[in-house]
Amino acid sequence: MPDTPQVSPDPPDTVYHPMTGAEGSIIEIERFNLWYGDKQALFDNSIDIQMGLVTALIGPSGCGKSTLLRSLNRMNDLIDGLRLGGAIRLDGADIYHRDIDVIGLRKRMGMVFQKPNPFPMSIADNVTYPIKVDGVRDRRVLQETVERALKAAALWEEVKDRLRDSALGLSGGQQQRLCIARAIAADPDVLLMDEPCSALDPLATAKIEDLIDELRGRYTIVIVTHNMQQAARVSDNTAFMYLGRIVEYGKTKTVFTTPRSRRTEDYVTGRFG
Amino acid sequence: MKDTPSPATSQLPPADAPPAAAAGGPAARRPREKRARRTVLLADRIADRVITVGGILVIVAVLGILVFLVTETLPLFRSGQMTGERRYTLPEPAGQTLGLGLDEYKTLAYALSADGRLQVFHARSGRLLTSGRLDLGSAPVTAQAHTIDRTQWAFGFADGTVRFADARFETTILSPQDLPTGLTPLGDGDATDGHAVFSAIPGDQYRQVTFRMELEAPVAVGDAQRAIAAMAYTASGQAERSVRTLATVDGDDRVALIQTASRTNLMTGERRTTVNRIQLPPLPAPIEVFGVRLTAKADTLLVADRSGAVFRYNLTDLQHPVLAESARVMPPRARLTAFDFLLGSRSLLVAGSNGALALYFLLERNDFRTVDGQSLVQARTFTAGGTAVHFFAPSLRDKSFATIDGTGRLEVRHGTSRKQLADFPTGLPLEGFRELVLAPRVDGVMALQADGRVVFYEFDVPHPETTFATLFQKVWYEGYAEPGYTWQSSAATDDYEAKLSLVPLIFGSFKAAFYSMLFAVPIAILGAVYTSEFVHRRLRGVIKPTMEMMASLPSVVLGFVAALVLAPVVETWIAAVLLAFVGLPLALMLGAYLWQLLPLHLANRLKGIPKFALMLLSVLLAAWATRALGPFFEELFFHGDFRAWLNGDVGGAAPFLFLLLLPLCALAVSILQQRFLAGLRQRPAGGLEALPRALGELGLWLLRAALTFLLAAGLAHLLAALGADARGGLVGTYVQRNTLVVGFAMGFAVIPIIYTIAEDALNAVPEHLRAASLGCGATLWQTALYVVLPTAASGVFSAVMIGMGRAVGETMIVVMAAGNTPILDWNIFNGLRALSATIAVELPEAVKDGTLYRVLFLAGLVLFAMTFVINTVAEIVRQRFRRRATQL
Ligand SMILES: Nc1ncnc2c1ncn2[C@@H]1O[C@H](COP(=O)(O)OP(=O)(O)OP(=O)(O)O)[C@@H](O)[C@H]1O
Ligand SMILES: [Mg+2]
Repeated sequence: MPDTPQVSPDPPDTVYHPMTGAEGSIIEIERFNLWYGDKQALFDNSIDIQMGLVTALIGPSGCGKSTLLRSLNRMNDLIDGLRLGGAIRLDGADIYHRDIDVIGLRKRMGMVFQKPNPFPMSIADNVTYPIKVDGVRDRRVLQETVERALKAAALWEEVKDRLRDSALGLSGGQQQRLCIARAIAADPDVLLMDEPCSALDPLATAKIEDLIDELRGRYTIVIVTHNMQQAARVSDNTAFMYLGRIVEYGKTKTVFTTPRSRRTEDYVTGRFG
Repeated sequence: MKDTPSPATSQLPPADAPPAAAAGGPAARRPREKRARRTVLLADRIADRVITVGGILVIVAVLGILVFLVTETLPLFRSGQMTGERRYTLPEPAGQTLGLGLDEYKTLAYALSADGRLQVFHARSGRLLTSGRLDLGSAPVTAQAHTIDRTQWAFGFADGTVRFADARFETTILSPQDLPTGLTPLGDGDATDGHAVFSAIPGDQYRQVTFRMELEAPVAVGDAQRAIAAMAYTASGQAERSVRTLATVDGDDRVALIQTASRTNLMTGERRTTVNRIQLPPLPAPIEVFGVRLTAKADTLLVADRSGAVFRYNLTDLQHPVLAESARVMPPRARLTAFDFLLGSRSLLVAGSNGALALYFLLERNDFRTVDGQSLVQARTFTAGGTAVHFFAPSLRDKSFATIDGTGRLEVRHGTSRKQLADFPTGLPLEGFRELVLAPRVDGVMALQADGRVVFYEFDVPHPETTFATLFQKVWYEGYAEPGYTWQSSAATDDYEAKLSLVPLIFGSFKAAFYSMLFAVPIAILGAVYTSEFVHRRLRGVIKPTMEMMASLPSVVLGFVAALVLAPVVETWIAAVLLAFVGLPLALMLGAYLWQLLPLHLANRLKGIPKFALMLLSVLLAAWATRALGPFFEELFFHGDFRAWLNGDVGGAAPFLFLLLLPLCALAVSILQQRFLAGLRQRPAGGLEALPRALGELGLWLLRAALTFLLAAGLAHLLAALGADARGGLVGTYVQRNTLVVGFAMGFAVIPIIYTIAEDALNAVPEHLRAASLGCGATLWQTALYVVLPTAASGVFSAVMIGMGRAVGETMIVVMAAGNTPILDWNIFNGLRALSATIAVELPEAVKDGTLYRVLFLAGLVLFAMTFVINTVAEIVRQRFRRRATQL
């Protein structure tokens, strides 16, 4: 990005635990800083996200989880007065390099939002949207994609008879699974989820969690959540953020059971946040 | 409730609190809370009432306007109403009647018998006022003729002489003190001094009507002592210098035209008359002459035989008069029973013994085989009662006429609308009737029987010439080659017939709206998409208010700028303007693709104001280029003269078809490409490099453009070879104030409305849908096209409809820039006349409660209905949109 603000000379005081991960990292965040205008939202964050695993971002409200997540597929680009420092690399390529094609980048990262946001179109059209904007018009390919993505999102059985119906007629949980199906329809490498269950009831939440479990290994998943149990249940690695900094990062079990930072401990045990 | 203890109630301050509320619960016992709630409730109730009353008032106002418009227009469709029936018998039998006349106010009438007896009587009561005798000489009267207003008469005698007579009603307005004393009342508010009739009129005044008939000395017109068998008469010029034209048929079937010119010497009062007799070509066979009629301009003479043959002389060249046509207006064996011109002497009314009643026009057409290219053509027939019609009395105001049929039924009809204005069964035998006269204002009809019996009916038809059919269907007007939709509310002559078809006006409104929407909708919607989806927030804060300011431009200013500045400019640079329709979009698209070639960091730095400025620059460059290339383009496509090409003088059809087909072909090519060549655009896996992709897209676009041009050219030539040509349809003869100019100006007027509403609708699309789309890897443009626009579609549609409603109702621009030609022609280079413009232009000149006045109200009603339907559709769609938007 144009401005390269001064990066603090000290090494980040993040506590790093050993991580789960066999295949190596797919995303490397290196001393990443972000400013909304004059207000700094991310401070010197460095973590590696492991390929094929589920990484959870937890932390109190306003600590910058969403900001960090949105930085991964450059959804922040359109925000006025945004400045960045440091680097984020996908497969070793800096995604903020000036010659990077943002659209192509986003195609490699499916995104699921906090609130289910299906398009006001049919269920099938929602799922095929990402590949249609890619120029795919072959009806057979489209049909296959619908089935594959909906099956992967564990929604197929519920909607297979009404693929032509409006997606807005689905329940909240179904809509969210549809959004997941849409996010994986173009077969991305990474799935970014920003509190995907916060608008859902426990039953729907359980379904999504099962789904995340199933998708593990096929996609690299980064999930933001406020729900400690959820983070503990679904993630392999967890990063705890506080006031724009990653305070502790490592194997989920370690972060939850033997945190080294006082703040982490207070947060995961529910003493604040 | 009755047994509720009162203490609780007594604690409440106002006494009007309902006991039920007081007993309601613990809250009722706490006055403070109660009071607070009261004022809120009161405010709520007041607001509710005010809003309800306001809403009802608005509805009542709109309904009131509607009811007013309807009541103003209803009389147009009313048929006649009888207002009076009088029967009386004149003191002396009429015998062989020469003439019957009635004054404008239906007060005085006269009857002239063949023996010269003239009876003047009060029309309503039949009371004889004066009775005298004109000295007609010794020879018996063998023919008579009069002008349509019955003021000038000509009598032909057995000795071949003619005597002219002048019959006039004279009207003076008197104030009460000028009124003579000792008047005898006549009834109906009229009184007489034994000579004149005095009637009280509004404004405390009196009207005096007298009648005077003067007979001139005999003029010998025949070369021998031959009786005149039939005669026709027209007169022109003033009383001092009158020119009279007579057509006579004598006992030997010889037809002659006689012109007499009289000059009164102002000093001596001496009158000198010169007679010029022109012998017309002989009739082909001996006839039993039924009647002779001369047109008002004396350029056509019709001689009718009882058998239904009509011989037409063309008298335009008096040196060489020709017998131009022998037409049959009756089937064989049927006999002519009546034959006369309607007012204006261009429609000939004929009736036959078979009950037929028909109207003929004298038309000039290329396919006629007559000497002068003209012919009598049957234009319409009337359904008569089955018995033959025997008397005609044409109106001298409009195309109405009165008839008497075989059963003695007296009818009044309108010749164009065929409306039956009056229908009176007199119960008198047909054989007794001698004369029929229609009151000058078409509000009474009088018939005279040989024995002196008179029937006089008064009736009231406010608008004889209008029916649903004349307003909305094809009507064959006299002088026109065929039936059509015509609007022509006024003309220079007195005897013109107002042609009030609303169809060309409705068409004009839609034509103006259509072409201006064609221009405005793409610009407004693309502009809205651009500002809501692409533009930097800060720039949007400038663009939107600017566009909204455009809406505050008075349309009259737009109108005269369009008419006085734009129209001449477009006329001069028409080729460049046409080229701009192709050039501007091409330039903008090329600019967009070139922009993609910029390195990302540069593109990001320039994406605010500089990008906008660059776009403006590319538009200006394109405009300059089209202007520079205009003449070349005109040379290449239209043989160097676009207007000559439009008139069909030079060039073929293909070039313009090519231009028309371009957008369609562009669409087709891009659909084809998506369908079959989708792979070309698919991203190479993992390829994140921007430059090669942008270059690829540019190349692809150039390829597509080339393909589009080729396809359009091919199709255009194919269609041209098949005989298709836009000329005569969408394009045609060029007029300076044309629909293209209106389209520009009105487009300018409606763009801000469409833009603002559409932009609001696009902005209302929730942000999370855009995020979802962008998160799927869609571009901004794809997001706008596939997600934002469809989601806001109904809002955008209602924006278009509201814009259309405005365009249909828009007045000043069409008044000033449209040329106001009421024609049914899609030609974009021709003018139009809109409903609204017609109302604005003609209402100030329309006589209150006249036909035109009411028809203009009807035009207003139609306009109201049109905009109402359009706006209602827009509103319904918008409501649906709102309901769906809440789901998102
Ligand atoms: N578009 C923006 N412009 C300015 N400041 C922003 C913007 N988005 C977020 N912020 C600020 O950045 C900080 C981090 O916000 P962010 O949304 O990342 O928090 P979060 O951890 O996701 O919180 P939550 O758990 O409530 O979602 C907050 O202080 C927020 O106010
Ligand atoms: Mg958040």
